[in-house]
Amino acid sequence: MPDKKVTIQATRFDPDHDEKPRLQSYEIPFSDESMVVLDALNYIKSHVDGSLSYRWSCRMGICGSCGMMVNGTPKLTCNAFLREYWPRPVVVEPLNNFPLIRDLVIDMDDFMHKLKSIKPWIIRKQEIPLGSGEHRQTNDQIDEFRQFSECINCMLCYAACPVYGLNNEFLGPAATALARRYNLDSRDQGLTQRLPVIADTEGVWECSFVGECSVVCPKGVDPAKAIQQTKLDTTMRFVLPFGNRE
Amino acid sequence: MTSEAHAAGREYRWRMPTSWWTRSRNYFFYVVREFTALPLALWLLWLLVEIKRAGDGPARYSPHGSAAFVVFSVVVLLFALYHSFTFLTLAGTIIHLRVLDRPVPPSLIVLSQFGLWAVASGVIAFVLIWFGR
Repeated sequence: MPDKKVTIQATRFDPDHDEKPRLQSYEIPFSDESMVVLDALNYIKSHVDGSLSYRWSCRMGICGSCGMMVNGTPKLTCNAFLREYWPRPVVVEPLNNFPLIRDLVIDMDDFMHKLKSIKPWIIRKQEIPLGSGEHRQTNDQIDEFRQFSECINCMLCYAACPVYGLNNEFLGPAATALARRYNLDSRDQGLTQRLPVIADTEGVWECSFVGECSVVCPKGVDPAKAIQQTKLDTTMRFVLPFGNRE
Repeated sequence: MTSEAHAAGREYRWRMPTSWWTRSRNYFFYVVREFTALPLALWLLWLLVEIKRAGDGPARYSPHGSAAFVVFSVVVLLFALYHSFTFLTLAGTIIHLRVLDRPVPPSLIVLSQFGLWAVASGVIAFVLIWFGR
């Protein structure tokens, strides 16, 4: 089908010249049913307008860098097939809820600070010498946290979260899911170091359970579940006798 | 961009449009769920006023005599049922139980919550009717 075309409407914003973002239309060949939105953007960049800016890397839903709003929904553009939208135009915008740097490129600093604040690594009170062998875990222990470890930091959940959109002090879905991933890890002993951040008023208690973060997650992580479970855990630690012990 | 926003410095600052909750079905029902708390609170305030009036004697207490109160109460009941349903359904997501070293299925947890809800409602109804005779 050499004549098949698809219209891509992409956000353009040049901080040196533009007051606000605008949409620009591109009509490009829709030559292959397996084409995804990222392929369309790459075609535009290579053949139509080399100035279009956007992030991407792996093209296979692993790196999490090509997240954008596709027809109003946060998506990994490498996983958004044009055939699902054609013959309608495909509107590609930067992720909601983040400052815009240029075209489709958002400022990720806020998320990076939040991610660092929950210390997303295994914390030990006392490191076990390498010579004493590996930290062994049973399958059940791994199953406790496995789904939360699938997060690829794509930030689609932040773009879908109206709570974060209204108050960007909120720790947010992915950071909480990753905090829970480490708190549930039998090798980790860093819960008390993460508690001041996750149990803060701008932590899990800011969430009023919209649930859209879990709907848009491309990796099947359930951040809403992580947040609600953390609320229950922190309440139990407060209410139960000896709940605050290590 | 469809959002209301403003340029600040060299970045364009995102601002949520006031109509954000009309953008998706999930957002809409979320806002409805949150809104249900407001009429519930008003109904409880109204009830407190009626209880205060009851302190002046049975003749003063007649909330069901007002058609407006009955209509308002029916609407609030629907809101309360919707709010309770969404809250109890959430239990399957939040509560993480293991029995005999096996995880309890979320559906069973939700069912147990609805069962407890029904039992509690029955007990409260019995107490109110028994002592109200």
